[in-house]
Amino acid sequence: MNDNYHVFTDGRLERHNDTIRLVTEDGEKKYLPIENAEALFLHGQIDYNTRLVSFLNDVGVAIHVFGWNDYYAGSIMPERGQTSGQTLVEQVRAYDDSTRRRAIARQFIEGSIHNMRANVKYYDDRGYDFDAIIDRLEAQAESLSDEMDTNELMGVEATARKAYYSIFDDVLPDGFDFGGRQYNPPDNEVNSLISFGNSLVYANVVSAIRATALDPAVSFLHEPGERRYSLALDIADLFKPLLADRIIFRVVNRNQLQLDDFESDLNGCLLNENGRKTFSKAFEESLEQTVDHPRLNRKVSYQYLLRVEVYKLKKHLLTGEEYVPFKRWW
Amino acid sequence: MVYAIIVYDVQADRTPKFLKYLRRYLTHVQNSVFEGELTEGTLVEVKETLQSMLEEEESVMVYRMDSGSYVERSVYGDDPMDDQQFL
Repeated sequence: MNDNYHVFTDGRLERHNDTIRLVTEDGEKKYLPIENAEALFLHGQIDYNTRLVSFLNDVGVAIHVFGWNDYYAGSIMPERGQTSGQTLVEQVRAYDDSTRRRAIARQFIEGSIHNMRANVKYYDDRGYDFDAIIDRLEAQAESLSDEMDTNELMGVEATARKAYYSIFDDVLPDGFDFGGRQYNPPDNEVNSLISFGNSLVYANVVSAIRATALDPAVSFLHEPGERRYSLALDIADLFKPLLADRIIFRVVNRNQLQLDDFESDLNGCLLNENGRKTFSKAFEESLEQTVDHPRLNRKVSYQYLLRVEVYKLKKHLLTGEEYVPFKRWW
Repeated sequence: MVYAIIVYDVQADRTPKFLKYLRRYLTHVQNSVFEGELTEGTLVEVKETLQSMLEEEESVMVYRMDSGSYVERSVYGDDPMDDQQFL
């Protein structure tokens, strides 16, 4: 649908003849067709000026900056394409009403656990014995209730995610040792992949929210203000198993990424340029992958599923129609 | 989304005009040849604009495929479409 452009080379991005071009350090010029672009992901050391920023604002293209010490450094979002006071009011009302807020937050957790379970089931069907973990995930899903506040819900999610992460060491080959989630900074290759994968999911959700009138800062499960776009945190959790984790398993198990694609030092372990490129390519391929959507009655890309999720939430807020979170159905 | 190949033959001093316009939408693969994916609506817009840009004895050809997967594309030598999204 809409293309994300990932820039790894160092250089300068500029507006030129109503489109964008990258001038690399050795003077090579590459043009990016702007009309189909969704967002620019900047991974290298890149210069740009206000002329570029205001042009991107006009055409509605976001910049997501990925730093070297920290994967996601921030975004430069174009002015909102959609604005609706009514939507914002309804969003804030739902947030402020603890019954409604809990109901939405609970749906996010239910969806997340379902999608984690789908990954575990996938490997359980392929020769691993993960019955015990599936049971634990199901027990967490069953323990959910409408009375739980967001802290309790987060606790259920954390327990489920811990069980889910325990399959990583089994599914990934020797050399890729996980031993539990660590970030700020990630301490090993697997954590580093999860961080990078999650930040790509997050940035894509930020782009998807921008296409609607929902306010990215008003969230339900996460506390607003936890991050700049906390609603993106809520929605990204649903998609991490599908969009980030499956890619991690795939690229590592197929040897597309190896240990020399990482750099480790005292400040943790991060993917190097080559590793980021390989992962980003696999990630973009996955966004373009399509699946039959039973309700829309047509094929949609994984990238579009993010949009659908935001539309569903918006519809729920405006009309009260039940919000059913994304649960992998295939 | 549809896949399009657009070829133009215009007066030598007017090629930059077409080049600049098409760069906004597609990938420049060879002299006077662009290709890539766009939406049906955008393609209509591009066709109309190109038509209005033409002068006497100039021509533009637009090949439209329902999707990239309907095209069997073989390239010998460097392919400008390679890693188009990864710079």
